[in-house]
Amino acid sequence: MNRLLAVAANTFRETVRERVLYNLVFFAILMTLSGLLLGELSIRQDEKIIKDIGLAAMDIFGTLIAIFIGVGLVSKEIERRSLYPLLAKPLSRDELFLGKFVGLGFTLLVNLGTMGLGLYLTLLLTGRRPEPRLLEAIYPIYLGLLLVTSLALLFSTLTSSTLAAVCTLALVLTGRFSDVIRNMKDVAPGAPGWLTEALYYGLPNFRNFDFKDRVAYGDPVPLHVLGWVTLYALAYMGLVLGLGLKVFRSRDF
Amino acid sequence: MPGVTVLEIEGLSKSYRVGHLRPTYRPALLDLSLKVEQGEVFGYLGPNGSGKTTTLKVLMGLLHPDEGSAFILGSPLAERGWRYRVGYLPEHPYLYDYLTAHEYLDYIGRLFGLSPAVRRDRARQLLDLLGLARAADLPLRRFSKGMVQKTGIAQALMNEPDLVFLDEPMSGLDPMGRRLVRNLILDLKQRGKTVFFSTHILPDAETLCDRVALLREGRLLREGRLDEILELATSAMEVLVTGVDRSVLEAQTGLVAKSAVGERWRLEVAEDRLGAIVGAVERAGGRILAVSPIRQSLEEYFFKEMAADHEVPVGGFGD
Repeated sequence: MNRLLAVAANTFRETVRERVLYNLVFFAILMTLSGLLLGELSIRQDEKIIKDIGLAAMDIFGTLIAIFIGVGLVSKEIERRSLYPLLAKPLSRDELFLGKFVGLGFTLLVNLGTMGLGLYLTLLLTGRRPEPRLLEAIYPIYLGLLLVTSLALLFSTLTSSTLAAVCTLALVLTGRFSDVIRNMKDVAPGAPGWLTEALYYGLPNFRNFDFKDRVAYGDPVPLHVLGWVTLYALAYMGLVLGLGLKVFRSRDF
Repeated sequence: MPGVTVLEIEGLSKSYRVGHLRPTYRPALLDLSLKVEQGEVFGYLGPNGSGKTTTLKVLMGLLHPDEGSAFILGSPLAERGWRYRVGYLPEHPYLYDYLTAHEYLDYIGRLFGLSPAVRRDRARQLLDLLGLARAADLPLRRFSKGMVQKTGIAQALMNEPDLVFLDEPMSGLDPMGRRLVRNLILDLKQRGKTVFFSTHILPDAETLCDRVALLREGRLLREGRLDEILELATSAMEVLVTGVDRSVLEAQTGLVAKSAVGERWRLEVAEDRLGAIVGAVERAGGRILAVSPIRQSLEEYFFKEMAADHEVPVGGFGD
């Protein structure tokens, strides 16, 4: 466990020193601030707009961070051969792989926390009451980001970082538009029903983690719904990480 | 404690898959067996593509062997315990750009479960020893190739290992760096540690190694003590002569005089004719500066062996 945490701590240090992280955080802050401007332009909708844009910034830029940093975590180690000395140490491949996941997970948590704080501050500074209920949207966003990270790590063990980024992005986009797959029959009646059903249930459904609108409108998210979402995320992550571990264990370097 | 086997390899083979649609397997290591004893400096020699790095990668768990087994410090490869007592420097190490040398060594120390105080002390000692103390807090991306190599050596020694595997340890080092590493290897030997190192630099192997193994095209060609391998050719002697003209010397001895440094001549003499030749040199008015047995250098042996069967390499890659 100590070795896993050592890898996680080093991964956290690695990711917070990545230039891409700061670029993305900068744009996320810019987007949140733009909510202020748009809020001024709309009548009585300003608070909702600030929340909408703030939560969307967390989701979009968090996803981009998870993809673009996540895909490099293992593939860069393989390409640059920096994992050679590590694997000769009393560190198992499982500990290295999972340590990377935990490390990036922590970076995303800190990042989401910072952006969340920024959103609360924006609301506070513009005279609105910062609601704890926003956490009902932020928590599922974090679960979604962890799932994206696990997918990025899986592809990172299989291929180069560029191809891994393309594959992860494609899967995330598909998962975000899973309704389109479900309703494919309406647009393409020839599509076999079993295939659309299999795709709908088989691919990661990122819509399950999207409570932004609901929270922005002030609708509560029941605890049992959050519980089911947590279970879904854990089960899917377990599957993806398990597959990633299997690939990573069997690889020659 | 000489006589204790610290590394035992039995019938190790490894091939690489080439191609995707119709994969073929190219052997890089074929039925390798060898033993290394405690306290030895063992040189692992061979040209590019002979299987040196592949052997080390299999031992370190970076590659899965096709066949065979190996025991390190008495334990099979699959066990983890021996890794606490082993150091490994990969060929052309690449370390993390974003870390400083000190941070990197601290990270390595954490993987061994060392306490923060021990990590700090060892990192400082090793960086001092390798002449990197002043660069300890610089990011590794600002290091030269030689400095990265030295940091790689430092990480291999962070756990004070009993057995050290060094893949081309002199690579990228300047003459001072090479001397430093040579002394480091000798110091490790003096402290009873075992050093297994692969190299292309044969004079280094000749200076440092107790025993060597010679690898060609994935097969073990020869293994043993240097004096056994190089076979001291005591039947031939080299006589160094001065104070006489070449033509006079050749006329008196009936041998061809080869030029040495300055006004000195070198004669190659059969052992049973040494007395007669010494007399002939003196009669010609020359002085004998030295008489020594002619010994084949490791380099000469290496080239002779490599030229003996110069076919297309089996492995061809992966070293």
